[in-house]
Amino acid sequence: MQAFLLYIDPGSGSLILQILAGGALAAGMFVKTYWLRIKSFFKKSDNSSHNTPK
Amino acid sequence: MTAQREPSSFRDRSGYIFYEGEKVFRVVGNSYKKEYDQLHSSGLYKHLTENGLLIAHEEVPADLWPAHLASSDVYKLVQVPTLPFVSYSYEWSFQQLKEAALLTVQIQLAALAHGMTLKDASSFNVQFSGGKPLFIDTLSFEEYEEGRPWVAYRQFCTHFLAPLSLISLVSPDLRRLSQLSVEGIPLSLTSRLLPRKTRFSPFFQMHIHLHAKLENKYSGDVQASKKVTRSLSKTRLTAIISHLQSGVNSLQLPVSKTEWSDYYEQFSYSDASIEHKKTLVREWAGEIMPARTWDLGCNTGLFSEVVQAVSGQVVSFDIDYMAIEKFYAALKKKPYTNVLPLVLDLGNPTPAIGWANLERKSFADRGPADLILSLALIHHLCLGNNVPLGHVASLFAKLARHLVIEFVPKSDPQSQRLLVTRADVFDDYHKEGFEAAFGEYFTIRKRELISGTERTLYLMTCKS
Repeated sequence: MQAFLLYIDPGSGSLILQILAGGALAAGMFVKTYWLRIKSFFKKSDNSSHNTPK
Repeated sequence: MTAQREPSSFRDRSGYIFYEGEKVFRVVGNSYKKEYDQLHSSGLYKHLTENGLLIAHEEVPADLWPAHLASSDVYKLVQVPTLPFVSYSYEWSFQQLKEAALLTVQIQLAALAHGMTLKDASSFNVQFSGGKPLFIDTLSFEEYEEGRPWVAYRQFCTHFLAPLSLISLVSPDLRRLSQLSVEGIPLSLTSRLLPRKTRFSPFFQMHIHLHAKLENKYSGDVQASKKVTRSLSKTRLTAIISHLQSGVNSLQLPVSKTEWSDYYEQFSYSDASIEHKKTLVREWAGEIMPARTWDLGCNTGLFSEVVQAVSGQVVSFDIDYMAIEKFYAALKKKPYTNVLPLVLDLGNPTPAIGWANLERKSFADRGPADLILSLALIHHLCLGNNVPLGHVASLFAKLARHLVIEFVPKSDPQSQRLLVTRADVFDDYHKEGFEAAFGEYFTIRKRELISGTERTLYLMTCKS
């Protein structure tokens, strides 16, 4: 692995946090996307039921 | 002309700043050649400067370099515009600090889009010029390598996120914690000071509380940082920066009414008195035509507005955080951009901090100004803060060459307010005492009673 040559100390904890935060935000996005898809699926079916003549 | 090296320009070895008279130059070292070239070839420099985000510079041809650079390790010499005034995050209003933070994030996102990244995110890299924040460190950029986390993330949190959160959720007084260390406010301290409810917010939990915990856990663990190289995708890194951006954007200052921010609204001055005072200030300052004016005790900037019309730059100071907040917000709608409002307690002004007390300057070290405006201030300093008149005169003589100053006698309702709860031990606080004290340092050029009041306005010029 290549070592960082930096003039400020990034902090090991801060680097690790970014890996975790990146994962958490990606997971959040994933859940959100699917939630929107599920919602839009039900909305569509709702709409279609409204449009169906009785 | 002799070159003077900027004393704070030593941490980053990529280059340094030096001054020749009023001119400012930045030396770009050979070690920064690759990054400097990439900054230009990637289009990032053009993008940032055209949008007014980064300070623009002009390269000085090598045959015009001063002799003292001949033997040193120089790749380029660039000239940068002189800043009107150097201010620090602990003197900014909430909105100013927030704008500086958002500018840093915006620049980091633009850098990533151009294959570069910020190697530091210090609040000292942002200055106010032309009414808005400007990133001033051209040497803060380096090549972005896919997989690498943001090395300046912690610095962004200690320099921006910590003070913004503490000011917003605890108290504006905590802005001064930034003054205790040039490294910003420690995250462990921020985590302990923030209210309990922030532990349930994903934003604060992630960037402050968990961040502080991990910082403690892994501090000094060399193995830990080796494990985390090359494992954060650019998409995820961008998501973190965007998360910071939206979080910072949603931070607000709780609306609170302080003593002074509604001063003009409820103050006893009549409109005619204010108009008379405005006319005198405009005329007298107009005679001086100052390049640099400092308006001390500016409140929400009523007279800064008057004096800016005849001044180059105006820096306006007040102790009241909310007044400066209000002032800065109002400036956004004004056609002029030469006024910078800052929070300052003249009774305990900004000290010099950092290495050898030279890195970040004290309030007085950033002078002198050409003109000081000191309106409705003297009674607060002398009657409210027990400072003898002679001390005020001596300080003002160091700070500026000319002085427009208002003397507020004891009989004035505002002085009476200050004296109501205390013994009047200020025997020499009267017009004659004032003129004697200031007469030691200044020549009194004009004096005029402000109509409808017992206050007198003076125009003075320093004797030395």
